[in-house]
Amino acid sequence: MKRIMILAGLLALTGCATKSGLYEWGGYDALLYQSYKEPAGAQKNMQTLAAHIEALEKSGKRVAPGLHADLGTMLLQAGDKAGALSNFRRERELWPESAVLMDAMIKNLDNTNLQGSRS
Amino acid sequence: MKRLGLICTSLLVLLAGCAAPPVVKTDMSKFEAAKPRSILVVPATNKSVEVDAPNYLLTTLTVPLAEKGFYVFPVHTAKTVLEQEGLYEGEQIHKQPPEQLAKLFGADAVLYVTINQWDAKYVVLSTTVTVDFDYRLVGKDGTELWRANKRMQYTPQNNNGLLGAAIAAAIERAKPNYIPLTQMANNDVFVYGPTAIPNGPYSAKVQ
Repeated sequence: MKRIMILAGLLALTGCATKSGLYEWGGYDALLYQSYKEPAGAQKNMQTLAAHIEALEKSGKRVAPGLHADLGTMLLQAGDKAGALSNFRRERELWPESAVLMDAMIKNLDNTNLQGSRS
Repeated sequence: MKRLGLICTSLLVLLAGCAAPPVVKTDMSKFEAAKPRSILVVPATNKSVEVDAPNYLLTTLTVPLAEKGFYVFPVHTAKTVLEQEGLYEGEQIHKQPPEQLAKLFGADAVLYVTINQWDAKYVVLSTTVTVDFDYRLVGKDGTELWRANKRMQYTPQNNNGLLGAAIAAAIERAKPNYIPLTQMANNDVFVYGPTAIPNGPYSAKVQ
């Protein structure tokens, strides 16, 4: 009974949210939640997000605000500076509102280039 | 079959909830005058005893605001940048001048949330899960554009007798699921309730 009500509630919420849905999120919020809850799975969640974004880009769909940037930060935290950089640049390209933050992130990366990665 | 009926009924009830028109609308004149395009969501101030609540809440705010048509700054990136500035706790972050935060990120508005309650209480064979949030949106010039409060409660029901009720309550108490409740609270204040905010620049209804 409890499960059914939760399920129904979730379905209804999803129904409401997708009626005028602007973006395909690919479970971005749930992936982030899981990574905060169980950091051991963060790497796998990052890969799932990366695959979702890649699929959207391939099909020419607009990637939702923040997805490239947060993937970039996750890649940076995993030590992949080149991956981080290309994602920050793509976020800036797609979303002009992100320019100040993305420029700062890119500049910061350029300055620390070839130094050890932060964990 | 009985289950299917139940699902349909609860779906209808919930859908009806979505469609219900707002009764008394909040004054949106400051919001409309500021016309924010982008919203920076910063980690919440936590008055609950659950230390992880601000992180969990943070993951639920992007989707409803972006679907309203706003550019929402990447929450994980913003949190990381703030930590690099030495700002780890929501309470500290909320004490910073909003103008300064907005400038640092290039944001038009900053969303502050305070978690008043985030708990699961066990009282005689039932567990009640409660979330209670204060939401506040401040423009880049420091003007408050909008505010709202939302409290959501959930008590799992069980009709399988005393033992069933006790088990259901124990399960919910051991592993309460706050996220659906939090999502409902967010959707209610931003999208469906009387405090619903205007559409942002990327909304299909604006373009």
